Amino acid sequence: MVVGDVSTGTEVAVVGAGPGGYVAAIRAGQLGLDVTLVEKDAYGGTCLNYGCIPSKAMITATDVAHDAGDAEEMGVYADPEVDVGEMVEWKDSVVDQLTGGVEKLCKANGVNLIEGRAEFAGNDKLRVVHGGDGQGSETITYEHCIVATGSKPIEVPGFEFDGEHVIDSRQALAMEEYPESMVVVGAGYIGMEISTVLAKLGVDVTVVEMLDEALVGYEDDLTRPVKQRAEELGIDFEFGLAADSWEESGDGVVLTAEDEDGETTDFETEKVLVAVGRQPVTDTLNLDAVGLEPNDDGRLATDDQARTDAENVFAIGDVAPGPMLAHKASKEGEVAAEVVAGEPAALDYQAVPAAVFTDPEIATVGLTADAAEEQGFEPAVGKFPFNASGRALTTGESDGFVRVVADEESGFILGAQIVGPEASELIAELALAVEMGATLEDVASTIHTHPTLAEAVKEASEHALGHAIHTLNR
Amino acid sequence: MSENLTLVQAVRDGLRDEMAEDDDVLVMGEDVGKNGGVFRATEGLYDEFGGERVIDTPLAESGIIGTAIGMAAYGLKPVPEIQFSGFMYPGFDQIVSHMARLRTRSRGRYTCPMVLRAPMGGGIRAPEHHSESKEAFYVHEAGLKVAMPSTPHDAKGMLISAIRSPDPVIFLEPKKIYRAFREEVPDDTYEVPLGEAAVRREGTDVSVFTWGAMTRPTIEAAKNLDGEIDVEVVDLRTLSPLDIDTVVESFKKTGRAAIVHEAPQTAGVGAEVTATIQEEALLYQEAPVERITGFDVPFPLAALEDYYLPEPERIESGIRDAFDF
Amino acid sequence: MPREFKLPDVGEGVAEGEIVSWLVSEGDTVTEDQPVAEVETDKAVVEVPSPVNGTVKQIHFDAGDVVPVGDVIVTFDVEGETAEPAEETADAESEPADEAESESKSATSKAESRTFAPPSVRRLARELGVDLDSVEGTGPSGRVTEGDVRAAAEGGESEATDASTEPAETTQTTQAAEPSTQPAATGRQEAAGRDRTLAAPATRGLARELGVNIDDVPAVEQRDGEAFVTAEAVQQYAEGGQAAQAGATGGAARQYAEGGETTEPYRGIRRTIGKQMAESKYTAPHVTHHDTAPIDALVETRAKLKERAAEKDVKLTYMPFVMKAIVAALQEFPILNSELREEDEEIAIKQDYNVGIAVATDAGLMVPVVKHVDQKSMLQVASEVNELAQKARDRSISREEMQGGTFTVTNFGAIGGEYATPIINYPETAIMGLGAIDERPVAEDGEVRAAMTLPLSLSIDHRVIDGAEAAAFTNRVMDYLTEPELLLLE
Repeated sequence: MVVGDVSTGTEVAVVGAGPGGYVAAIRAGQLGLDVTLVEKDAYGGTCLNYGCIPSKAMITATDVAHDAGDAEEMGVYADPEVDVGEMVEWKDSVVDQLTGGVEKLCKANGVNLIEGRAEFAGNDKLRVVHGGDGQGSETITYEHCIVATGSKPIEVPGFEFDGEHVIDSRQALAMEEYPESMVVVGAGYIGMEISTVLAKLGVDVTVVEMLDEALVGYEDDLTRPVKQRAEELGIDFEFGLAADSWEESGDGVVLTAEDEDGETTDFETEKVLVAVGRQPVTDTLNLDAVGLEPNDDGRLATDDQARTDAENVFAIGDVAPGPMLAHKASKEGEVAAEVVAGEPAALDYQAVPAAVFTDPEIATVGLTADAAEEQGFEPAVGKFPFNASGRALTTGESDGFVRVVADEESGFILGAQIVGPEASELIAELALAVEMGATLEDVASTIHTHPTLAEAVKEASEHALGHAIHTLNR
Repeated sequence: MSENLTLVQAVRDGLRDEMAEDDDVLVMGEDVGKNGGVFRATEGLYDEFGGERVIDTPLAESGIIGTAIGMAAYGLKPVPEIQFSGFMYPGFDQIVSHMARLRTRSRGRYTCPMVLRAPMGGGIRAPEHHSESKEAFYVHEAGLKVAMPSTPHDAKGMLISAIRSPDPVIFLEPKKIYRAFREEVPDDTYEVPLGEAAVRREGTDVSVFTWGAMTRPTIEAAKNLDGEIDVEVVDLRTLSPLDIDTVVESFKKTGRAAIVHEAPQTAGVGAEVTATIQEEALLYQEAPVERITGFDVPFPLAALEDYYLPEPERIESGIRDAFDF
Repeated sequence: MPREFKLPDVGEGVAEGEIVSWLVSEGDTVTEDQPVAEVETDKAVVEVPSPVNGTVKQIHFDAGDVVPVGDVIVTFDVEGETAEPAEETADAESEPADEAESESKSATSKAESRTFAPPSVRRLARELGVDLDSVEGTGPSGRVTEGDVRAAAEGGESEATDASTEPAETTQTTQAAEPSTQPAATGRQEAAGRDRTLAAPATRGLARELGVNIDDVPAVEQRDGEAFVTAEAVQQYAEGGQAAQAGATGGAARQYAEGGETTEPYRGIRRTIGKQMAESKYTAPHVTHHDTAPIDALVETRAKLKERAAEKDVKLTYMPFVMKAIVAALQEFPILNSELREEDEEIAIKQDYNVGIAVATDAGLMVPVVKHVDQKSMLQVASEVNELAQKARDRSISREEMQGGTFTVTNFGAIGGEYATPIINYPETAIMGLGAIDERPVAEDGEVRAAMTLPLSLSIDHRVIDGAEAAAFTNRVMDYLTEPELLLLE
């Protein structure tokens, strides 16, 4: 029994050990700051434990299974057997390896780790409530605080997650047994990625989407190949329908969806996955204690140094404005740590790349041609289809293209969109180009290894300049 | 090699290192063994050194201290812990009647090489009796040394010096700052001599003498006064014997002094420092010595302790008074 | 768009014209053919019309100026025309570049908000405090490079340093001003102005009460190697200051203008006199013997003889009488007519009686010498005295005429005064000073009456002459002055 509350003093308190928080903590430690990282659940946050990593692991595993059974063209005949339980176990081992790695890296950089849920207890003070054991709570006094509490799936009214009939993405990726059928509410990237995984595992998937298209926000010519392939995999799309209610029925459920005219459609299915988006987590923080309030969209307003309105409190990742992407959170984490350490850091990146790990993958960075025009540029656009790429043909994956958008007059690359094999990897080169202020000339005149998919990037740039070699110039 | 440790971790480190070095060193007290100490000051020692050298005692302060005196008289080097300094009072007789006098009573045939450790002071929202700051009682008893480190580095070094001292030391640890900050602490053993004050901040206008948990708010007050008053902050570290030379040297430089301690004002150690200053450096004195201290009341309930403990604003005000006189 | 208008050729081979007057002012709106100026050539005055509709932007010459034909005399702003390069003749080569430039300018002005620069350059800009959007990029297509950012930082720095020197200067001046605003102690004792002082607290309290800065109190004691002051010292210092203050403020509280000083050269005769005076006074121990001679009889005598002398064109003053009296006395007391030669360890008793007369001239004191006074008649002496005095005043006196004196007489009484302590005319050993001849009370036989008296001041070199001798000599001189007929016997 300890009487009294001996508070722990620290220079930087980081709340949340996801890709925003743990990166901020490690960077702060590197810069010589005394840093304390508080995490209530697992190191690595949603990304490592329930999101990015598990989903990519499952995507890869299911791809392997699917591709193996679909390679007759290449003279490979197989009918793979999938033990989902083992697949999930393997996925878990990957996650464990990574979260263990995060812990080690933190400790190696002098980060003090505290387990518990943190909330503000007044200016410069956090109260950390320890879970389970009845260990009570402790107080941390900080000089700076970085809030990185991330986001959680949006719960649709009437579709509260029960882990059995109505599940979220996290639960979907943890299933050791897959149902025969599933309705996926929401055709955003999470819905689409998981649908693809499910479909490749043989689940009968119906995607119910309120809007008229899947992956709204990406240009049509990017989403078209994805939708096509999804349909080929047996995924049914129902657009313009909003999930309204559900009720148990036998072993499964009946989901009722409504269109804009009020007409309903029923879907019989075993489980419902709701993936309509994510909302920032701020209600656990007791923000009142530091005089902060979230915006209408639930985010904490920040400036270009990730500072909130409260002196010495920073917000990064999904709780801060901007795309809810792990790499954006990491960048903000690095910047926040550097700002605390007195370095002239700022969030002045030119573009955040994004990737959708569907089949085929989509990846974008910077401006589309339309956006470029709106901003007053005269866009020069170059496009190179993968079916003209030697390497793409050798992989059997030749749907899609690379498109590069540049400023006609100066040649500065403003953005790029890719759909096709390894889009998520290929986008990196173009993200660098946008960030560096590279021109089409710069990319086009750089020798790219042959035969690689990356050559498509070079060719697309040349195409914009009017002298692509492996495709016809307009 | 060194590590960033908090004050309580540094105490633990010092205990561990001395126990490893000298088999006669042992630890005893309530909850120190299997529980590793309520503040984790003795964490892991039981596992490393066993129950013969890390002893869980009953709840009996007089017994704890008396037993330790006996051990010390016969050649061991006990380091008893009293869980909160406010609980030293049941053992007060043992301390002043025997611990302090063994050497003189026996004309040196028996000595008392023990270190009585106790967390002291307020600032942790504790109930009655758990926030005492009565170092003056022990400073007043000849035959006792009284140490109060304010940093992790000093905590380990001074504890090692205390353990190695052939005479009894009351080692008071300001629990408010047990975990308040980390500092580089060498892995190996080193001594920070008792009886030596440390100038934490140099200045020319006013000398502020302080110790324990009050050192940090005093330094903060000095920083706030930067540009207005050039404040010298001296952390006494040991209250008995007092480092008169450092105190006087500082006072002769500035001619003005303030003293900050959380103990109540009347007959606090601040009074002793004031008397010493005027004895040794009267002609240099340009203003009365300002005492910024706890009030002459029992330590208040948790909700009011922020009003009781000197904080930077009150300390600044006192320093200004000394400067403006 | 500005349109320049040159002075047109008004024909008939005219090369220049004088602007007689302007008919418009800058800013006026004009229409084509509206007269804007009157210009006079050597044949006639003509009106010059505006070639355009527009406003007068700038007039280049004043009325009265003569302008060569072809010079631009006025510039117009013509409405509605877009900017064009002033140079109408453009190279064929430079044209495409100009076109491209103007086109690129218009294009980028639309997307101006975007600055292209690599992340490392952005960071550098932040580090150096440079606003990236204001930097001109010299990289390809205007990309901002590291060099561009550094150059911008340096360019800004020179401004920054200028700005930063100003505050430094002002602080310097305020610092310089400070010492003068500190009250200077005006005590009779000088302020000590120490950095630190040891004192008992009671003493410090006293100092404060009395309004005294303890660091200024002069300290006579040291303790512990530092200045120490007592309460008494503080008290004293405070009182001294008060007295001085009282004195200073006893007068009017007026502000007096500080005069400063002027200087004149210390050269020539002035310096020579100074050197001689110094040498004489600092070498010979001077003793001055004073006495007063009643000279009613002398006054009568002179009065009688004055006319006779005037017939011989000689102005007869008292001086010849005095000189004769002195010489007579010198003959009896030759020791006063001497020169001490210390190195030779001898006193030279002069056998000549050359008496110098101190004359005040514009150039200073001069001493012409009447030689052989003993061998000359009264009249001769009188004449020579006058002559020499005049020569001295004219500055026409020769060196020889001022040399060879053995005894000097100085008649300060001519200006006024009774007694003085004349400085011996080195290397002589005695000098007689004459006060003003005036009526003074004289006691005789128990009664005081008014008589004409002549005060005498005899300074002697006491190395050579004793006071007794001086007194005796003076007595003898007074004998002759009191009873001038005694001189007949000499």
